[in-house]
Amino acid sequence: MGLRWYHFALWAAFIAFMALLPELVSKGTLRTIIFANFLAVFAISWDVLSGRTGYISFGHPFLIGIGAYTSAILTKRYGFEIEVAIPIAVLMTMLGGLIVLLPALRIKGSYFALVTLAFMELMYQLVQVIRPDLTGGTRGMSGIPTLTRGALNGYYLSVTLMLCVAISMWLLMKTRVGTALSAIGMNEESVRGSGLSVTKLKMFAFLTAAAVAGLGGAFYVHYLGSVAPRALFDINFLFTIIVAALIGGSSTIIGPVIGAFFLTFLLEGLRPYLPGAERYFIYGGIALLLYMYQPKGLIEIFTQGWTRLRSRWTT
Amino acid sequence: MTNALEIKNLVKRFGGLTATDDLSFDIEQGESIGLIGPNGAGKTTVFSLVMGEHRQTSGTITLYGEEISKLGTSSRIRHGVSRTYQVPRPFAEMSVVENIRVGLMPDSIWQMIAQGPNREREIELALSVGFDEADLQRTPAELSMGDLRKLEMARTMATGPKLMLLDEVFAGLTVAEIAQIAELIQQMRKDGMTFLIVSHDLKALEPLIDRTIAINYGRMIADGSFEDVIANEAVRSSYLGTA
Repeated sequence: MGLRWYHFALWAAFIAFMALLPELVSKGTLRTIIFANFLAVFAISWDVLSGRTGYISFGHPFLIGIGAYTSAILTKRYGFEIEVAIPIAVLMTMLGGLIVLLPALRIKGSYFALVTLAFMELMYQLVQVIRPDLTGGTRGMSGIPTLTRGALNGYYLSVTLMLCVAISMWLLMKTRVGTALSAIGMNEESVRGSGLSVTKLKMFAFLTAAAVAGLGGAFYVHYLGSVAPRALFDINFLFTIIVAALIGGSSTIIGPVIGAFFLTFLLEGLRPYLPGAERYFIYGGIALLLYMYQPKGLIEIFTQGWTRLRSRWTT
Repeated sequence: MTNALEIKNLVKRFGGLTATDDLSFDIEQGESIGLIGPNGAGKTTVFSLVMGEHRQTSGTITLYGEEISKLGTSSRIRHGVSRTYQVPRPFAEMSVVENIRVGLMPDSIWQMIAQGPNREREIELALSVGFDEADLQRTPAELSMGDLRKLEMARTMATGPKLMLLDEVFAGLTVAEIAQIAELIQQMRKDGMTFLIVSHDLKALEPLIDRTIAINYGRMIADGSFEDVIANEAVRSSYLGTA
């Protein structure tokens, strides 16, 4: 797997830092970090599917939405326990992942991206008109049972989820299956020519990404206690997920976590100066400049800095 | 003795174009065949049909006694046939050993996760095609065309083939690189590998083959020793231009 001692040391240091963070920052900042944690989970999910295989998904909110709505409906309308509803929501999202997989068997590139965008739009329209008594229609749902109360508990919930997802996906992508999925992104024909079933690998990537998206969506809805179609199936939300993965460094799992934190704090940092939508203009500009400077993302900037530091120490 | 490959009455039509036209031939185990013909004769289509990248319109393909005509590409590779491409197709952001690693992978997600890579075998394959230790961590962007062909050979060999299809294996290579690849093929022939080789470089091809098959418009026009085939009038008029 190519694991080194410093990998574990870095993860341990990161976990310790995240555990101590509530002692160091205000409750307001903790709430910001909670959103960064959820964004990191969604960006990791996108990274497993699109960062690795090169099948750019513009429909990730479709998957997150299945997880969120399934768990919300099961708990609020049918009285399911949250602990039961979340696994069902994950399974339902995996079924959604299979639906997204179907076009990937025939088309790729921008055509695939556009089809997945259509999935998101379709979901947005459907939840408003089909059984609004269940989905809450255009207004969405509120009063959904929550897992925790208060910023501190919400923080621990979200950070535990983010770390579990990040570490498990990082370990998974360190195995040969991660190499095979990256190979699909580089040259699908050569993967087939190496005797591997590309369909099987793509199915694995789509199901894994869907499971993570569903898990994130379900936990998110039970943290917020509400769900609104306008906020969930929103192009800004979609691009925030994609930009977090790209700006952090796609195909790395750690990159999307860094990207999610960077973007969330960038948006929050700009809020006092630019409270309106013009924030997104500055945010987009900074993201664009960073991406032009280093297309491999923030993680590559950190890695190069670390390599330079090490070479200075050793000489 | 079971033939390595049996192609019977193979036909492939792309709309109105017949790329392979009632083609039949056999390759014995351990034999090395040169497949020659002018550009557009249908040589690469034969490779694509054998590998399952295209499906034949009619006819059958049998590999070591088992009909593979209906199998997918990855299944055919597991049955022991593998190919290289005219233009090498490496994984651009992976090192030489990582490229070979993909070829060595089992077609089982569980095994990919549970078992680590066979690093010794990866290095052994890289060295066997002529890479140095210093090349192992290089990426394809840092390799010459000759090295890219060697990498393609190594990744193809990693799949464990008994029959290898080499497409324009000498294209774009220097004289020294041609000699290197030719030596590698000779060594593999001694080890019992069966080959079907497409090349326009007849001088380099001749010492590597036991038999030559010439095709044009997807039809066989000659099958026999290299000397007989290049002396064949149909081959000379359609391919060598010296009738």
